[in-house]
Amino acid sequence: MGMMTGKDYRESLKTLRPEVYYMGEKIENVVDHPAFVPHVNAAALTYDMAAAPEFEELTTATSHLTGEKINRFTHIHHSHDDLVKKVKMLRAIGQQTGSCFQRCVGHDGLNTIYSVTYDIDQKKGTDYHQRFTKFLREVQSRDLMISGAMTDPKGDRSLPPGKQKDPDTYVHIVKRQGKGIVINGAKVHITGAVNSHGHLVMPTSSLTAEEADYAVCCYVPVDAPGVVHIFGRQTNDTRKCDCLLDQGNIDYGSVGGEALVVFDNVFVPWEHVFMAGEYEFAYSLVERFATAHRQNYGGCKTGLADALVGAIYLLTEAQGTAGASHIREKLVEMVHLAETLYCCSIACSCQGYALPSGSHMADPLLANVTKLNVTRNVYEIARLAHDVAGGILATMPSEADWKDKKVGKYVDKYMKAAAGVPAETRMRLIRLIEAMTCGTALVESMHGAGSPQAQRIMIWRQANLEHKKRLALKLAKIGDTKENKN
Amino acid sequence: MTQKKIKTRLALKYCGSCNPQIHLRRIANYLVRVAGRQHDFELVSLATRDTDVIAILCGCPRACGNKAEVRARARYCLVVAGESLDGKLISEANLPIALEEALTRVIRHKEHPRGGANLKLTAGTQ
Repeated sequence: MGMMTGKDYRESLKTLRPEVYYMGEKIENVVDHPAFVPHVNAAALTYDMAAAPEFEELTTATSHLTGEKINRFTHIHHSHDDLVKKVKMLRAIGQQTGSCFQRCVGHDGLNTIYSVTYDIDQKKGTDYHQRFTKFLREVQSRDLMISGAMTDPKGDRSLPPGKQKDPDTYVHIVKRQGKGIVINGAKVHITGAVNSHGHLVMPTSSLTAEEADYAVCCYVPVDAPGVVHIFGRQTNDTRKCDCLLDQGNIDYGSVGGEALVVFDNVFVPWEHVFMAGEYEFAYSLVERFATAHRQNYGGCKTGLADALVGAIYLLTEAQGTAGASHIREKLVEMVHLAETLYCCSIACSCQGYALPSGSHMADPLLANVTKLNVTRNVYEIARLAHDVAGGILATMPSEADWKDKKVGKYVDKYMKAAAGVPAETRMRLIRLIEAMTCGTALVESMHGAGSPQAQRIMIWRQANLEHKKRLALKLAKIGDTKENKN
Repeated sequence: MTQKKIKTRLALKYCGSCNPQIHLRRIANYLVRVAGRQHDFELVSLATRDTDVIAILCGCPRACGNKAEVRARARYCLVVAGESLDGKLISEANLPIALEEALTRVIRHKEHPRGGANLKLTAGTQ
């Protein structure tokens, strides 16, 4: 065993039997079903790019456990360089897919649980870290794709997990047995869930002693009995089944492919349980995972923006507007917004630090600032793309009409713009821009890795406001100046 | 009895290509074509022992691939970093030929170390 190729990855998925539902049907073959093919392709590229010489500096790493060369998506960061390389890798892959490639969530889960299990063991004398390290060796040697299953359905948002009318609105332990635990509940928005090998289940919020059964972290294979996947709809998703050009991003789709994952009395053996009741560590787990995942967004989204800016520039050439000064200004603004996100991700990586386990995490304040900027800048980039592309983005005739024997000649004639550019070129660019900026793709930038308010809460906690107050007191010469010196 | 000439072994190392300002694959493909035409060097994998030359292909001036442990793998090293070769600015269009010429100088130097080939090596490569 060792690093897989994209082909190996697809073959490995075919050996699994996950329970998957989509549009009222049970899906027997995820790998070849048109609804899932783009998402499988995007994830497969994370394997193929690890084997490509021009990318391997970023997409591979050396395992600190075995010394073997591994896919970076299974690596535990042990330096600032590792943190920076993760961001650069995400940008490089995003440039190639123009869409979410899903695998970062599980990667962040692995890094989070590695450090938190160490901390739990130090305080409680448990053996979670040893268990997890054994599991990690398997993940690295088999090059597994793991989803990060954190967000619970949450039910009534005004109530904590322990006070919900339906206890299953948060995943929790319902039984402890000699050989393991049984869990109930569900996780929502789980990216890449149906085409992963398994799920890393993690708590989603800080917890109290009364909520100890909700403090559960474990690994569940994708086809474990009782695990049910219900795949989410996406904007224009039927285009995946009945056309090509109109899909825009034919190979990789518009988002990662998210699912509601139900855990209906799922048994988890102890060797795959990494937290079972240690509620006081739930917050640090959530904070570290959120930091790791929010660190990413200035990498992958910048990669996507690189491709989008390219598409917009090509479209302006195809439409004869490339020379206009306001077009250049808007392209510059798109680049500025994208590179600002990249700056944030690089900065929080460079300001990262070592944890007691020896692994490294990004700076939490700067990582949250990164993601909060993503919730704004990606929308602004999309707004500028819509502005420059023109109304045709929302009104262009279909691929079917362009190919129609009777009206196709009209579509072709009137979709042409600048001399020498075929209508098909312009139409393909418009559809790509539509896929990258309309609907589901945008919402992913807002709520992926947590909603803006979640980032604001963490920014508030990390803001070091007392220090800022002392600075003001000193400058204004208020109170005890000696006390306010620092 | 004629002695068979040993080809110079050239390995390529890429920076990682996160946001390249030049088309690295185009340069690599050019070298592959030259190797097929000239027969005085061959491309080998980075893991090959006794590599003679490493061409480090970096997409921008940050030169992330130019690291001591990479340079240490071969006697000679050539570094492309954006529009530059071994610290000298060269346009993207001219980079493939400039790299080929630099490689030729290295091959001559390797075959005739005292033969007067004017070779300026990248710092720390020999």
